[in-house]
Amino acid sequence: MKQLKKFKPAFWDHRDVAGKHPQTSFNFRRKWKLLVLFTSFMALLPLFVMTLVDFSLTRRVIEDEVKSSMSKILNAAISSISFSTDLKKSALDYIVHSDPGKDNDIFVVNEDGTLLTPSFYYGKSGTPNAVNTKLFKEMAGIEKDVALNKKPVITGYARIKDSSLILVLTKCEEELTDLWLKPRLKLVGYLAISIMLILLSIMGTSTYLVRRIHSADRKRSEALHHAEYAKKLASIGRLASGVAHEINNPLAIINQKTGLIIDLLTMKKKLSSVERIVPLANDVLDTVKRCGTITRRLLDFARHMEPSIESVDIREVVGQVLAFLEKEAERRRITISIDIKDTIPNFECDKGSLQQIFLNLIENAFAAMEDGGLLTVAIKFKTKEELTITVSDNGIGISNEDIDKIFEPFYSSKNDHWGTGLGLSITYGLVKEINGDIRVKSRVGKGTRFTITLPLKNVEEN
Amino acid sequence: MSKRNAILTAAIRLSSPNGFKESQSYSKSNISKNLNFEMPSKVLLVDDEKEFVQTLSERLQMRDMGTAVVYGGKSALELIGNDTPEIMIIDLRMPVIDGIELLKQVKQTQPEIEIIVLTGHGSEQDKKTCMDLGAFAYMQKPVDINLLSDSLKKAYMKIKAVD
Repeated sequence: MKQLKKFKPAFWDHRDVAGKHPQTSFNFRRKWKLLVLFTSFMALLPLFVMTLVDFSLTRRVIEDEVKSSMSKILNAAISSISFSTDLKKSALDYIVHSDPGKDNDIFVVNEDGTLLTPSFYYGKSGTPNAVNTKLFKEMAGIEKDVALNKKPVITGYARIKDSSLILVLTKCEEELTDLWLKPRLKLVGYLAISIMLILLSIMGTSTYLVRRIHSADRKRSEALHHAEYAKKLASIGRLASGVAHEINNPLAIINQKTGLIIDLLTMKKKLSSVERIVPLANDVLDTVKRCGTITRRLLDFARHMEPSIESVDIREVVGQVLAFLEKEAERRRITISIDIKDTIPNFECDKGSLQQIFLNLIENAFAAMEDGGLLTVAIKFKTKEELTITVSDNGIGISNEDIDKIFEPFYSSKNDHWGTGLGLSITYGLVKEINGDIRVKSRVGKGTRFTITLPLKNVEEN
Repeated sequence: MSKRNAILTAAIRLSSPNGFKESQSYSKSNISKNLNFEMPSKVLLVDDEKEFVQTLSERLQMRDMGTAVVYGGKSALELIGNDTPEIMIIDLRMPVIDGIELLKQVKQTQPEIEIIVLTGHGSEQDKKTCMDLGAFAYMQKPVDINLLSDSLKKAYMKIKAVD
């Protein structure tokens, strides 16, 4: 078994580690088996046909040879019998007295098939109806028959002139097979070796090919994994720098307010009073609260970086994501409209994936829009068990050539904001991972709409 | 206690000369009416972060500078048309007209105004852009008041030297 394991190629026990991209999974073992089966069949079929043809040809040749040798013996016997009537008796005597052997079983029967002389295959002399004489239609010939012990035999016969006697020569068919055992063995050996060689080479090349495909596929999925990770890191980086910048503002306020308190206390040019300082200190506290909100938001986001299924309020998720982007939206005068009319119950889903999906789609929409654009996030029931989520913008749109490929990894249009060409393929992967579906509709210059269909699982009843 | 504080704060805000409105003239602190020729008398602060810019303005006034406050690039451009400041302190990220755009326009129309960029969002790239556009200094929030005062003093000295 250990020896076998050494030969087992790596793809045999391949499990798709990624698991995240159902569109890329590939059953290597099945592919290998199919390849081996198909090529084996195609390669071995003509071999078998040719061997069978050769087999039957050789068999016929050998049979003919046996038959001709038998008829020679019979002819010789008949001609010696008919040569002289005196000799007939002595010839018969010869037959009678000669022990019927396995090789040369020659005997005489009458019309009824009763043995007049003993036979090796048909029994002692006097046995009635031993030979089926109905087979002997001509004056002389060779027929196939079955002997007493059910052995297939070849029987040559010749009717003796002017008598009802028939001279019979019997040979066992096995003998005949013995004769061509050697060529048959040769044929079979040749066949076996050819099959072995063909199978080995087929398995070898198939294994090689599938192994190459497997390693290429693994490299590709590793690259995809890596890129996905990099994208995640980049998105964390962007969030972190955004948060850092956002915190700088309240910090600057705290800095100035406390500075002013110190100024008031130390510059003593005017009597500084409690009335002036307490409100300033309160302002500082308020600003600290503002910082706290920002850091809490980030913490909440970071908590959902690891995949985990939990009860999710989709309104809250959208809110959390938009909270991150509202500063940019404000700066760029982008109007964000949230359209959630139906009351959507909490359902089970991976919150982190949902956040990432929204973040990616909304970031994309922002990238596609001019300042002062309009972004709409709408959520409603499609059926009782399915949600439809649309994220639409009135940005530059996606051209017809691009739209079929935007979910492909590493596909990046000239207008791609981030340039990695991975944002949407990762979004696609994330949507598939939570058993959803994503579609896109777009018109150049008018805008783009992404529609996600999401199954509602384990809805929390309120 | 907190309610009382709130009332106090409101009272002070109402009585504060800067109030919560943008100021249309450069005012000096009530604390010090002395003239200090080393300090600029017309500093315009442009920032949409109102609490920050007001407090900063008050502290600069306490340091013998005359300051005015506006909350956006548009108001800033309107104001400098009427009453040209000596020095401007501007934020980068502001709605409608952002800091870089403002810097560009001011330097085109009134290059004699020295501009100090004070931002919480800056990157090295932003810094380079600003310096290339002719900013006098580029500072990161939160800034130390003494560093900012020094920078203002230097900018003012530069203006005086030109005159």
